[in-house]
Amino acid sequence: MSRIVTIFALLLASSLSSFGADSAVRVQLDSTKASPRSVESLTEQVILRDYRFAWTSIAQALEFNTLDPLEGAFTGESKQVLSQSVTSQQRTGLSQRYVDQNHKVQAVFYAPEGDVIELHDTAEYQHQILDSGKLIHEEHVVVHYIVLMTPAADRWMVRHLQAVPQF
Amino acid sequence: MRRLLPICTAICLSTLCAAQDMHAPASAIAGEEATISTNGSGKATFYLLGPGVSRKSDVSLGSEVQLKAQDLQNAGEYFAVLCSDTCRSSSFYVTAAKPAGLTFLVHPSRVPVGQGDAVSGVALPFDQFRNLVLTPETVNFHLLEGTASVFSRSSQTRDGIAWFRTASQKSAGTLQVDASLGDLSARRAVQQVASDPCNLRIKGERTKAGILVQTEPVRDCAGNPVPDGTIVSFTATDGNGRSTVDAPIKQGVARAQLEAPGATVISVASGVAMGNELRIGAQP
Repeated sequence: MSRIVTIFALLLASSLSSFGADSAVRVQLDSTKASPRSVESLTEQVILRDYRFAWTSIAQALEFNTLDPLEGAFTGESKQVLSQSVTSQQRTGLSQRYVDQNHKVQAVFYAPEGDVIELHDTAEYQHQILDSGKLIHEEHVVVHYIVLMTPAADRWMVRHLQAVPQF
Repeated sequence: MRRLLPICTAICLSTLCAAQDMHAPASAIAGEEATISTNGSGKATFYLLGPGVSRKSDVSLGSEVQLKAQDLQNAGEYFAVLCSDTCRSSSFYVTAAKPAGLTFLVHPSRVPVGQGDAVSGVALPFDQFRNLVLTPETVNFHLLEGTASVFSRSSQTRDGIAWFRTASQKSAGTLQVDASLGDLSARRAVQQVASDPCNLRIKGERTKAGILVQTEPVRDCAGNPVPDGTIVSFTATDGNGRSTVDAPIKQGVARAQLEAPGATVISVASGVAMGNELRIGAQP
């Protein structure tokens, strides 16, 4: 019985991750205006990779109401708030889809010692809200996010993600 | 005509119900209550989705929907959806409340004295719900050596961040780094240590076991004692060739015993600093 449960869990995880791989999350990062420290090319690539992964994770977590995708990409306040969103959605039966994501990201601050970077993300996506799987709201939105990322051992993690009316 | 009347009434009621609408606040402050007014009549389902919040409740159209303070603690965009026959939606933003805490990152924790742009600090104000405060706030940075103020700067936050960068001071010791915003303050400490050794001087004498050499107290160019453990290299050159002994500074002085029976020239170095040469005659 435990084998069947394990196999089922692996299949479910595989289907979730394959959804993430298929879902389009496009991210463009411009770090030419970052100051006071300039962003090295390799650092820029890693931030781009990890920020894209973070949005793939958000989309999975809030569509399937599962906390697992939040491991690895988020820390601090952002992880706490997203976890609250998931557990709250689990209670109400609501879910959200972030479809066809397009992020235009600008690095605006990179700390002198490289221990925090602030990004401005102008995100465009089709936002869907579902109640027990039934679509109750769909809208193409443009949202501005202020993002703080901090370096961990082998990646950059989203520490803060806050939507604002404008930059 | 009698038949037409109920049909017309039903159509009118249906139109009224379908015309439910709501008015969300233009913006709200984190942790404060807000209301959303609704139009129409009958029952509807109200949804609120925002950062950390998902709420679903039945409401009577025409009444106000109360948004509790705990539903609006996280800054960001919120969606309100009102569903009867059809669904209407509205969005609004919650902004951070007033600053209640200051995150203060200071680097490095240990720095050699007299280095340009060697000490930096980044301050980020957060409200009581850990939302980043994005309205410009003035942060005062203040550096103290003992009780003496060595650096002071007021900096306005931009997109929630204020920062400074400055040189380390001339004297070794603890540098107190303060950031304050109104009544809020945060304090960090940076240990300033001596820089590279400067003006190395050695003295030596022949003993039964060889040549005992030792430095004078090792200091950097500003006169700060170089920390114990710093390696000093003694090199002895005689007719047989060269030999080097590395010795750590202990209690401000480095010592070494060199085996060189013949006439010997001894030099000393630590890092990039060279010291004086010492000539010792052959063993009698």
